[in-house]
Amino acid sequence: MKTIKLHFSFLALLSILLLTSCEATLAPAYDQAIVDKVTVSSDLAMRFFAEVDEGTDSISFPVREPVYNQLIGAFESLKLHAKARPVPSDGATKKINALLKSKGSNPIAGDYPSAFAFEQIAETFQRMKQTDREKGLNPIVIEAFKGQIEIYLDQAMTYESFLKR
Amino acid sequence: MGENVTAIITEMKNISSGILNKDLTTVRGFSERQLEAIAKQTVLIQKGVKSGDIDEDLREFFLDGLEAMTRNFINTLKGILLVTIEKLWNALISFLYKAVGAVV
Repeated sequence: MKTIKLHFSFLALLSILLLTSCEATLAPAYDQAIVDKVTVSSDLAMRFFAEVDEGTDSISFPVREPVYNQLIGAFESLKLHAKARPVPSDGATKKINALLKSKGSNPIAGDYPSAFAFEQIAETFQRMKQTDREKGLNPIVIEAFKGQIEIYLDQAMTYESFLKR
Repeated sequence: MGENVTAIITEMKNISSGILNKDLTTVRGFSERQLEAIAKQTVLIQKGVKSGDIDEDLREFFLDGLEAMTRNFINTLKGILLVTIEKLWNALISFLYKAVGAVV
């Protein structure tokens, strides 16, 4: 009886897989250019933090403004680049979503955690720039900005590297 | 028939274990790094607010940041797991197609 059940389950699974056909693509494609650009931009960001870690004053802000602009531009560009990749919705994805729905789970969707992280990094640098211009930055505030950026960088880099199947 | 089914199940288990073991190691490392970093960031903000180094305006910014980064940590995990599901699906279906002699 147990063997018959096992055979039936196996045949049912096999039938579903054969009917849905072919390979599934559930996540965006890996892009070496994004990984390379993140590496360069994060290197620039960490060097900048090393330069200002003892604190800044608003008088010397114009010296740092070009670096802020470069960093904000780099991460805004990365966000656009990461978002530009389509996530195909094929037959297999639809079948998986139908199965998830029947089990009461949320369907899988084309999320871009790295694009969100890049956007947040650009916004963090934007806020850091504004604060630096208005009143300068003390070491604790710089450490907090740095911590926030490092966490987002780890999220983006881990996700982008993981896309290399 | 019974022996064939056992062999196929064994191979499917091997394929799944290979992919899951490798990917879950990455997930575990990432989760541990993130949780530690978010905890440290929370303590830093707490310290900065208490000492007055982080003013009211920046306090709100960093608190919103903590919420957003935690949400994106979960979304990154979901994204990573989606890639693992894709790899599992494709590896298993490729094996099953081969097992029945079909061309993928």
